[in-house]
Amino acid sequence: MSNGGKRAFLLMVGIILLVSTALIGCTKQEHATTVEQGASPAEKGVTISWPRDIGQMNPHTYNPSQLFAQSMIYEPLVSYKEGGKLEPLLAESWSISKDGKEYTFTLRKNVKFSDGTPFTAAIVKKNFDAVMSNPKLHSWLGVINVLDKTEVVDEHTFKMILKKPYYPTLQDLSLVRPVRFLGEAGFPDDGDTSKGVKKPVGTGPWLLADYKKDEYAVFTRNPNYWGESPKIDKVTVKIIPDAETRVMAFEKGELDLIYGEGVISMDSFNQLRESGKYGSELSEPVGTRSLLLNTTNEKLADLRVRMALQQGFNKQAMVEGITLGLEEKADNILSKNFPYTNVESKPVEYNVDKAIASLEEAGWKLPAGKTVREKDGLPLELELIYDKTDPIQKAMAETLQAEWGAIGVKLNITGLELTAQIKRRKAGEFDIDFWYNYGAPYDPHSFINVVAEKGWGVSEAHSRLPMKQELDEKVREALASTDEAKRQQLYASILTTLQEQSAIVPVSYIKKTVVYQKNVKAFRFPANRDEHPFDGIEFGE
Amino acid sequence: MVSYIGKRILAVIPIVLFAIFVTFVLIRISPVDPAEAYLTAAHIHPTEELLAQKRHEFGLDQPLYVQYFQTVIKICRLDFGKSYLTNESVIDEIAARIPATLQLAVSSIVLAVLISIPLGFLSAVYKNSLIDKFSRLLSFFGASIPQFWLGYLLIFFFSVKLDLLPVEGRGSWEHLVLPSVTLSLALIAIYTRLLRASVLEQLQESYVLYARTRGLRERSIMLKHVLKIAIAPVITGLGMNMGKLMTGTIIVEQVFSWPGFGRYFVEAIFNRDIPVIQSYVIFAACLFILCNLIVDILQLYMDPRISVKG
Repeated sequence: MSNGGKRAFLLMVGIILLVSTALIGCTKQEHATTVEQGASPAEKGVTISWPRDIGQMNPHTYNPSQLFAQSMIYEPLVSYKEGGKLEPLLAESWSISKDGKEYTFTLRKNVKFSDGTPFTAAIVKKNFDAVMSNPKLHSWLGVINVLDKTEVVDEHTFKMILKKPYYPTLQDLSLVRPVRFLGEAGFPDDGDTSKGVKKPVGTGPWLLADYKKDEYAVFTRNPNYWGESPKIDKVTVKIIPDAETRVMAFEKGELDLIYGEGVISMDSFNQLRESGKYGSELSEPVGTRSLLLNTTNEKLADLRVRMALQQGFNKQAMVEGITLGLEEKADNILSKNFPYTNVESKPVEYNVDKAIASLEEAGWKLPAGKTVREKDGLPLELELIYDKTDPIQKAMAETLQAEWGAIGVKLNITGLELTAQIKRRKAGEFDIDFWYNYGAPYDPHSFINVVAEKGWGVSEAHSRLPMKQELDEKVREALASTDEAKRQQLYASILTTLQEQSAIVPVSYIKKTVVYQKNVKAFRFPANRDEHPFDGIEFGE
Repeated sequence: MVSYIGKRILAVIPIVLFAIFVTFVLIRISPVDPAEAYLTAAHIHPTEELLAQKRHEFGLDQPLYVQYFQTVIKICRLDFGKSYLTNESVIDEIAARIPATLQLAVSSIVLAVLISIPLGFLSAVYKNSLIDKFSRLLSFFGASIPQFWLGYLLIFFFSVKLDLLPVEGRGSWEHLVLPSVTLSLALIAIYTRLLRASVLEQLQESYVLYARTRGLRERSIMLKHVLKIAIAPVITGLGMNMGKLMTGTIIVEQVFSWPGFGRYFVEAIFNRDIPVIQSYVIFAACLFILCNLIVDILQLYMDPRISVKG
């Protein structure tokens, strides 16, 4: 090496050493803060992980704010509880006018924001105004589309006037976003929260005490909380994007809790559960994994073919084999833990003989020497599209392919990116697709809405059902109905029709999972799918 | 020499333009609609009206050529746009994450240099000895084991079982150990073998024989002559690998929850956050070009005959 080469080499090594020492030096200081924030049992803190950063903590916008964290800081007027019961929260009580258009809320007194400012009708209106200044942003939500105006009646009375009656108004108000309340100090100067908030000031039991983007967020108890304060002092959220790392951090004891939907693999969940070292639970069904059959396809327009497909696969075995028992076989399109869904309906049982008989009756015969049924020279060939990043959908698609192959139905399976899958669903370019309802508190009203309203792909897929028009009318009637009994009757009729028509084939009920260290006590899943699970949680010895 | 360097720097412009073009085309031919991806990630049921509004907001309703020229003009002005997801400036977000990635890359290179140079040198000097066999085994593992798998193994043994180091996160030097080891093993494999071969080659040269006949001490021959010359390809490799490391930390950042810009990129891909993906690819391209340029200039400095040839 020449002298020049030697100099260059030494220079490079020198720079590398200097930079790395400096960087390590910088991080030592950060370490001190992190350790301080790490929860220990003595502090009665819970440490959990989340795959993504918690985001900006803006109550009125969506990405990148994470729903569970928003729900720790901000509260709704009405809270969604088990079985769809609506309970008072920031609103002590409410009354609905006879025509279903006026909602008057009596606000809870002595409620303060985390900065000590009072919660009044004026701040409620200010929040509604901020949301309504960007109605297009929230047009997916029913109540926003029907909201005409809001009024401050007095300091603790707030009124909403709708353009037309819409019964799920209270359900929509219980959602985590966009109608929750930010304190005055959080509003930007121009009042437009869609561009950001000054600071996250809410009435909820928690406040964001420390936060480092992409690394952690620490929530501590809100000292001004109006209700019963949480039993634990703080919640530390570590951002861990990788599921396997999450499991190892939990096994090492760096996490007290792994909670959510699909946050760890089913294998890992079972492994942790079977080790006996930890507590684990499964929630009530939060949604149904279904197959959507497109009746605009001539073959699937025939009820006998749709029924044969439902009878032609062993749902129980498929769910147990693929989800390792973490999902439950679904007999109904909507599980019975939602309002109005406790409807008696006859499940379609697995019966290969009946399936074959139905296909024969529908004219689909198996020519000698062939494995695929034919009718008028056309083979009984269908395409199932699935999300290729979802291992459960893929495994289920492959199982269906084998099961239906045995009854003479050729199933072609196509893995797509999620948004491509949605695009094809909406365009009606599919024979069979996986489909899910939205869960609480969106259902059952959001479910029946997409059954009737065009634009989501579901109504379009059902368009060849003989009673389609009647079904749509019933949906519209149910959504606008102010009569509870009538609504129940309409829901029963809609769900029974769909069940009998087999156009949506329920496969399994999806559940949330939690695994926790043994010192975590009194864990309860929130009734609202998007809410945080820290109410009532305790830390034992 | 100056004109050579000037030419090399000018050649960067078409390469960057090409990188922008390729990125633009690749993102646009993907069947995924960013507006739809945004709404899906936000748990918003995407109505046609909302989709149209988002597409307009993101400028995706413009003709493709308009979108392309706007992209190029903006990049020329060093305006990389705002993230669809966070609505914050992409350049600021990348800048905020670079120190973490740089820290990981630098510490991995340091570790690789500290291990591979003595190991490579000794395994050449003591050919077929135990140390040579060990270095061969280490290189074999380093070159063949997938990084994510190695990361999991290291976490499992050193964090979960032995409880010596933290599983994830960034904060102290302890947090840096496992990701740096994971990243550096592949480099160690390359540099050790490279140096070993290079030293063995030098040992065949007549100047070594001459030095020995002059009665120079073996240690002095090895360190002052052989190693000095044999290390040249390793320096080249180091320069080339800096770019690779800065952009190759994606998997390791994901496994160790390291808040660098590799992880930021992964999240952007899942959310179809076009401005971020575009900026990342362009940044990576520039980084590679820059590293190449530095290595070339360094080589030129070491061997001026290159400018005549090149």
